[in-house]
Formats: sequence, structure tokens, C-alpha cells
Amino acid sequence: MTIYVVDRVVTRPGCARKFVDTYLAEYAPGARARGMTLRDVLVSPPIWFDDQPNTVTITWSLPSAQAWWEMTWKGRPDPGLGSWWEGIGGLVEERTRSVAAAADDVDRLCDV
Amino acid sequence: MYSVTRLLDVADGERDRVLAAARVGAAATQARHQLVEPTLPGVRNGGEILVHLRFDTEHQWRSAETDFAEALSDPAITRVNGVCYSGDASSSSAQAGTVYRALLLRVLPDTDTRIVNRFEDDLRRMPRYVNTITAWQLSRVDEPVGTSEWTHVFEQEFTDVDGLMGPYLMHPIHWAVVDRWFDPECPDVIIRDRVCHSFCAMADSVLR
Repeated sequence: MTIYVVDRVVTRPGCARKFVDTYLAEYAPGARARGMTLRDVLVSPPIWFDDQPNTVTITWSLPSAQAWWEMTWKGRPDPGLGSWWEGIGGLVEERTRSVAAAADDVDRLCDV
Repeated sequence: MYSVTRLLDVADGERDRVLAAARVGAAATQARHQLVEPTLPGVRNGGEILVHLRFDTEHQWRSAETDFAEALSDPAITRVNGVCYSGDASSSSAQAGTVYRALLLRVLPDTDTRIVNRFEDDLRRMPRYVNTITAWQLSRVDEPVGTSEWTHVFEQEFTDVDGLMGPYLMHPIHWAVVDRWFDPECPDVIIRDRVCHSFCAMADSVLR
């Protein structure tokens, strides 16, 4: 059952393109190495504003809850990961990270 | 109830001797519930021996504290993490548990009280969804000991080790709700210090 990790980032005005480029260049390779597959990078509205925030929604997938734990166990001892998010703070107004699954999978995921 | 938990790191080859001495020391405290057991494979930062004592009152512990500390002064004990705290447990199943688990954690200083309350609410929500938890208690720490200024201890009794390593880990309440407070990648993170995750076999319930 596929697990989705969703980063929703509201960028500072004019920073969306730089944020996406930086995320893909610096963050994505390590995330892939931890077992995540990049599904989507969506920009809303689809305009590179120079004076307004954009909302960037990045979706990763993992094949199971076990894979989610293996991903986070690989990342958690690495202090560089948390500091990467802190370092990119200048491009970010606010962000969330959530974990989700398809509605059809919810009952089975909870039946453990 | 007033509770005392100690996680003992022990020098190689000394565990059984220290375990026997710790059991004698625990018995001398006359705590209502005493659990002194070797930890099981899979603990993280959880020591080789788990000691858990439950007293009717804090006064009873304070009367026994000095002698118990003496019992744990063996040089083969290389590190002690622990907590003292008040509180009562909740039962979440009629089934008896066979594994006792304690999670010691430190919430970052200056975390907003409302955030701490939300974090605690999330932890309290777990036993509703993880049916292998038979009893549990979430407590704020009065007195931390060891490598961190522990602020909370979350105790559970599980049906068995599989109930801890399987449903507890794999239910979405854990990885999609609670873990965000511990995840340095999540903006909600409020626990950055290494936690103590320790568990051991339990012949009789200590939380009920």
C-alpha cells in the first residue's frame, strides 16, 4: 500500500522558482537514496510570481509503512537534514509535511 | 502513584550480577510494584537493565531513595537514565500485558504550552488505535536523571513483543500523526534530543 509524503511549502514572494530548483538539486537526491520516489512538484498558481508567494506541493511515495520507517531511520541520524530545512528558510514563508494514503487503503493500513 | 524508572547501562559481562543486586535494592524499597528485568533486543538508548518502581506516595520513595541510590552505585553501571514522576495509569484492554515499555523524551525548552498540550493529546490518542496496548500512562517528569533533562515519560504495557514491534510501529497513528513531533524534517518537531526507548518482559502488570 503506497504511502505519500507531502511537502506543502508557501514560498516567500518571488522565491518559488529558486525554491523548487534548490529542492530538486539539493534535497531530492538524498530523499531518493532514502527510498522515496518523487511523484509530483506542483506550483500554484502556475506563475513564477516575482512579488507574491506561491504554494509548492511536492509529493513523494513509499511502498509501505515499513518503507516509511526505513526512510526516516536513515534520515534521522543525519543532522544535515534538519539543518538543510533551516538553511532554506529564507525562501519559505511557511510549510507543512504530512503523510497520506489513498482512501481505499485507509482501512487496511489501520488493520495492523 | 509515584513512579521511578531507571535504565542502566552495564559493563560487558556484569549484567547478571548487577541485575541481582538491583533486584535486592528494589525489594528493599518496598515499592508496591517492582520490575527489574534485562531489556529485550530492539531497545534504543534503553540500557541493559530496566528498573521500574511504583509507590503509593512520593514520601515512600523519598524514604527509600538514598539506599536505592547506594544499590545502584556499582562501578559496573556505566550510565543511568531515569525519571521520577506522579500519575495514574489507564487500562485499554482486559487482556494482560507481557511487555513493559518506557519512552523517555525531552520536549525542547520554551515550547509553547499549547503545542505541548497538542503533543500530549496525540500521545494519549495512540492507545485508542493500537489494540496491543493493554495499559498506559503519560506523565510529565518531576526529576530527570541522565543524559537529557527528560520532560515526559510514556509507558505502555503490550500484549507481547510483536504487539510493540508490529501494530504499535505500523499503525498510521504512529507514523502519520505522532512521529511529526520527533521528526527533524517536520516543522512541528519539538523533540530533538535522542530518546530512550526501553522495554522488557513483565510477569505481572505494573501499571494496573
